[in-house]
Amino acid sequence: MKSRTIGCAAAASAFAIVTAGCVTVGPAQRAQLAKPEMTPAGETAEETFHSHVEAAREGGFGGHGAAGGGCGCG
Amino acid sequence: MLAFVLWPATAAAEDRVTVRGNYYREVSTRVLQPTVDVTVDVPDERLTLGATYVLDAVTSASIATGTTEVTGGDNTFTEIRHETAAYAQSKLGQWGLGGFFRYSTETDYRSRSLGISGQRELLQRTVTLSLSYAYNFDRFDRIQANTGARLPWCGGSQDIASCSGSGVGLGTNLVQTHYVAAGYTHVLHKHVLGLLTAETAVVRGPQDNPYRGAQLLVTYETHPVRRTRFAVAPGVRWILPKANLVLEPRYRFYKDSWDISAHAPELRVHYRFAKHFRARARYRYYRQSAAFFWRDDGNFAEPTGLCSQDTVENCATADPKLDAWDSHTPGIQLVYELDGLATRNGLRWLDQGWISATYNHVFQSTRFGQARLGALAFSLAY
Repeated sequence: MKSRTIGCAAAASAFAIVTAGCVTVGPAQRAQLAKPEMTPAGETAEETFHSHVEAAREGGFGGHGAAGGGCGCG
Repeated sequence: MLAFVLWPATAAAEDRVTVRGNYYREVSTRVLQPTVDVTVDVPDERLTLGATYVLDAVTSASIATGTTEVTGGDNTFTEIRHETAAYAQSKLGQWGLGGFFRYSTETDYRSRSLGISGQRELLQRTVTLSLSYAYNFDRFDRIQANTGARLPWCGGSQDIASCSGSGVGLGTNLVQTHYVAAGYTHVLHKHVLGLLTAETAVVRGPQDNPYRGAQLLVTYETHPVRRTRFAVAPGVRWILPKANLVLEPRYRFYKDSWDISAHAPELRVHYRFAKHFRARARYRYYRQSAAFFWRDDGNFAEPTGLCSQDTVENCATADPKLDAWDSHTPGIQLVYELDGLATRNGLRWLDQGWISATYNHVFQSTRFGQARLGALAFSLAY
């Protein structure tokens, strides 16, 4: 039951984040988003290694990707 | 597999070579994993080709991995795995397409994987949607104790003498995985990037360890031959320019048909403390429930047929990762961007390059004990 509550809370938080972002940010405003620390695609090799380790040591999987790798600032 | 599928096209495509050395250490196992990745634009981001090579050297000194079973004694042995992958990515306007093939081989396991992915940018490139599919087909063998003979492994419920090394379905050593991922990235604010990934995998075939039966009162470990897995992972990257900080909360929820559910919240903090120096601290908590066939006492009866939800009496496992357990993982990473050196004569080739050092320490409550993960990497654009 506790797990289900946590799961529902996480899903609700994700939904709120997604639906709150309907404001379009112009290209000129995205300079900060182009920094390497804001770019998920720059961590591909590390995420692959963590995915490999977790597959061998944990019952779960996933969570090591991010769609498109981009902020639209490239 | 995931990386190729979920990152179909990077934001900054370029010719690049990245060399990385990964290190994993726990009480009974050590893994050294050098990797090299090369990408080439032909001639630009409209078509990017890449290739990756990974060497896995796994040294084990524990019955946990079946060492005694294979070597006939309590000896250390090293298993070598080679992995090669080729991939292509294309960016055409607001569309991105990608595909890959990967082959991996070790003494008793061969894995082939291929996949395709597509992505679409929307709303002035503030939203990216992606969809990926991958198919894995693996062949599983068992090295016989003392003789060293390699026989196909069809799972603990199947007679090893009649197991086939070819064909599809029960009675063969084929493990098939269909994997689908959907991703959503959204620029929520000029300083905030939101990410959401949902993944599912359907696995069919032997999924038990052919050597771990020695730890039980049964001949072989026996797991269900079907498993459906699902994971959803929201996250945010929030940059605070004046503080040179990026906050990155993440969360992953996982659930599967073996009744394992898992939660993995994580916080990463990136800090740029000089123009070309940045550091990242992370903390990850992981907690999971046990599989429906796990028994704390390990007192399983000899299976007489397939293991499933309806025939739990035919299941047997000694796999610690199927128990309920949790872990804490703090970690740190330092990155030096080589652009600073590239302004000097003769060092212009370092432009856009970087080097990094990473260390993570895993405090886990399974019998694997504490684990150390380290990595050194450098990357050069050319």
